[in-house]
Amino acid sequence: MAEVELRAVSKSFGKVAVCKSLDLQVADGEFVTLLGPSGCGKTTTLNLIAGLEDASAGDILIGGRRVNDLTPFERDVAMVFQNYALYPHMTVAENIGFTLRLRRVSREAMRQRVAAVAESLELGPVLDRVPAQLSGGQQQRVALGRAIIREPQVFLFDEPFSNLDAGLRIKMRAEVKELHQRLRVTSIFVTHDQEEALSLSDRIAVMREGRIEQFGTPEEIYARPLSKYVARFIGSPPIEFLPGEIAREGGDLVFRMGALSTALAPAVAGGLADPSPSLELGVRPEHVILGSHGVPVTVRLVQPMGPATLVTVAWQGGTLIARVPGMAAFKPDERVHVSIAPEHVMLFDAVSGRRLAIPG
Amino acid sequence: MSRRRIGRIVGRSIVVGGLALFVAVTVAPLLWLVISSLMEQQALTAKPPDFSAGSFTLANYAGVFAAAAQLGQGFANSFLVALFTTAVAIAVGAPAAYALARLAIPGANTILLMILGTQMLPGIVIAIPLFIVMSHLGLVDTRLALIIVYLSFNLPIVIWILRGFFLAIPPGIERAAAVDGATTAQIFRLIVLPISLSPLFATGVFAFIESWNEFFFALILTRQSARTAPLVISQFAGQYQTVFGQMMAAAALAIAPVVALAILFRNMIMKGFAEGMVKG
Amino acid sequence: MGTLEQRRRRAGYAALAPALLILVLILAYPIVDSMLLSLQGLRAAGGTFEGRFIGLSNYGALLEDSTFRAALWATAYFTAIEVLVVVLLALGVALLLVHPCGRFGIFRIVLLLPWAIAPVANAVLWKWILHANYGILNTLLTALGLIERNVIWLGTPGLALHTVLAVDIWKSVPFIAILLLAGLNKVPPVLYRAARLDGANAWQQFLHITLPQLRPTIAVAVILQTLWSLRIFDLIFVLTKGGPADGTVLLNFLAYRTTFNFLDLGYGAAIANVIFAVSLVLALGYIWLLRPGLQKAEG
Repeated sequence: MAEVELRAVSKSFGKVAVCKSLDLQVADGEFVTLLGPSGCGKTTTLNLIAGLEDASAGDILIGGRRVNDLTPFERDVAMVFQNYALYPHMTVAENIGFTLRLRRVSREAMRQRVAAVAESLELGPVLDRVPAQLSGGQQQRVALGRAIIREPQVFLFDEPFSNLDAGLRIKMRAEVKELHQRLRVTSIFVTHDQEEALSLSDRIAVMREGRIEQFGTPEEIYARPLSKYVARFIGSPPIEFLPGEIAREGGDLVFRMGALSTALAPAVAGGLADPSPSLELGVRPEHVILGSHGVPVTVRLVQPMGPATLVTVAWQGGTLIARVPGMAAFKPDERVHVSIAPEHVMLFDAVSGRRLAIPG
Repeated sequence: MSRRRIGRIVGRSIVVGGLALFVAVTVAPLLWLVISSLMEQQALTAKPPDFSAGSFTLANYAGVFAAAAQLGQGFANSFLVALFTTAVAIAVGAPAAYALARLAIPGANTILLMILGTQMLPGIVIAIPLFIVMSHLGLVDTRLALIIVYLSFNLPIVIWILRGFFLAIPPGIERAAAVDGATTAQIFRLIVLPISLSPLFATGVFAFIESWNEFFFALILTRQSARTAPLVISQFAGQYQTVFGQMMAAAALAIAPVVALAILFRNMIMKGFAEGMVKG
Repeated sequence: MGTLEQRRRRAGYAALAPALLILVLILAYPIVDSMLLSLQGLRAAGGTFEGRFIGLSNYGALLEDSTFRAALWATAYFTAIEVLVVVLLALGVALLLVHPCGRFGIFRIVLLLPWAIAPVANAVLWKWILHANYGILNTLLTALGLIERNVIWLGTPGLALHTVLAVDIWKSVPFIAILLLAGLNKVPPVLYRAARLDGANAWQQFLHITLPQLRPTIAVAVILQTLWSLRIFDLIFVLTKGGPADGTVLLNFLAYRTTFNFLDLGYGAAIANVIFAVSLVLALGYIWLLRPGLQKAEG
């Protein structure tokens, strides 16, 4: 069983604390992503799990065994690096088989195992080439092959696709996902790309300045973010925040932002202890509805994106971006109405950034 | 013609003229070295020198080879000393450079700067104590003494230059090897060294050239049997001060191998050394 | 056995130890010993050394010694002029080579030649060129009508030092030019393009872009050349042996002569340490300049 567990793990470089008391539990066979901007500590965390760096405090467990004092090889982990990190003077076959050569596996056995792995990654034809002669996608697959042949307990991925162009990235993502479905090896993946995280992961750990801000399924992260930070990280274009206050309109609680006010779902409203601490409303552009109901607004900007159109609307006191499906036919200065479905409204404390929780 | 065009032509003429002047001034003395080595004594000392076809001869080189024992000995000594001191410098210096570049030695930068600092000192500072030590050890006038003493400048140079090259290797490669199960020694032997063959060789050539050309320590630490080529040349200049052609022939022979090496490896030498001294 | 970091560090110690050991033996020990020597009145006679501790008397004697003071002054003069001329000329050469006309490899080969030549061979060559009676320099100058009688370049007081200076400049300019060329190549070309668009001519570009960008490299070149000037020996030994009338006795040569000709080891060591002290200050300056560029060791 290859669960990975971090207990109060910290890492400091001199006086700078990069990881601050991390707690994390990854189940056996789970695909977990560490997501965050550069500098949030996600790569360092990965290096700690791998054993490339020593933790300053805390325990790291793999398969129930404390591995703090073990080398990466002893921990039985394999890693796929950013920039591939292939051995430039060795052929593809030698790259993939290097670990076997170190273990003095017989030539014949090595050849067979390398061939098998290469086949599964469609690298058969290029076994005798050196990395410089390969395309980006092929190089990345060699890096994968090098990890697969180890048959490790855990796969670690350090932003492996950030050097690839968009089309290749999507293709490689699919390959990694397919690989995981096939092999079901515990995998920990680091990226700053939220789309990647959403598409690949069983669960996502959103990190911020050395701490895990939220750890949950993609759905949880998307629909029930714990804070503005997390909400902002997922979703493209990002969630928008509007300051305002709670008010009563005809017996219902509404959230008023200047001229715009929107009804609050009873569940949300019910969770408010006291009306009007400083609040912000959060709504994702895909939940902003443009039509004939709601508050009158003026169209400011129209940006067609292909499968959707981003329409910026403005009113006295604020602006919003709506993500409208298809190539919508709005024009600047057009007058429309905007509304938000109550169940998609999120309320955030403007000071702490925490989302106001729904009871029950 | 427009003002700009005139300006450009003038500018270009200045540059071309400057380049020509630079080449002429730099190459002329060396050219003269070769030419005089091929001229007879009488032609050289005539006023003005006689450049007619009959004045050219290989007699000077023949004369030098006649005194071959000395020159041959000097060459052999220079070669052996340079070869062995370079070999030791690389064998000891490459791992040290790797350690300082990649193996997180505490105070690595301080050590490095101290090593660099020692290169700034004039040889005389260490020459006297070393001379005394070699005297006590009975190693005066031995090649071994030179091999050891030359390490005082070869080793720091090797460490400094190679460290720069090792730093440029993407760290991911070594990490991947570690994850694959390689020990530090294996990483160095199987990954780092094979991709550093070119800089290793160029650094070796550089150290070889510096050792070959060295005069001061050779002067102090050798007498008869361990004389190196520069020493023999200097003695020729003293002895043959009247047969100028032979003096030049001897000098030409002494510098020929090194010049050839420098030209062959000029790119790496210029890149490694010059950049290393400027950037750190 | 330990974590990866621990093992790598241990391997690092093992890899570094032999080199450090050698350096301590060959460099650190002699440097310290040189200091101690200078505090002794040590003479070598008949193959043995005999001496006793005399404290700082050697240094005291230095201050009184007119030969030392003359050498000190000559060295300072020589070094200052050489550094100035070499850096300026080298800058000129580097600028020439950076120009499109100077892109050819042949120029870089020419640059390396003076460095590759053994200093002794170089000295021997110039001794011949500067020969009073038969040297080509006098012959050429006479043929051009610039002089009437042969100049005794290496034997005329006052002139000798400047002749040695000129020869060393000839040898030193190319390598400093290589340094400066490396620095010039690092200036981002886009800066020049932007300046041209802003209307700057070649001279203005040089003044406002090239020079400021080149400043650290020039500083390094100045320090390196100063240190090398202080070490000049081969030329003096072959060309003049310090003459005429000690006119070309510079500090390094003086230390050598005192130790190995006059066999006064303690005094010679004291002179050597003076050179050492000055060099050390310069070396610290060099190191300080390099500090920002020094990359951290990455594990």
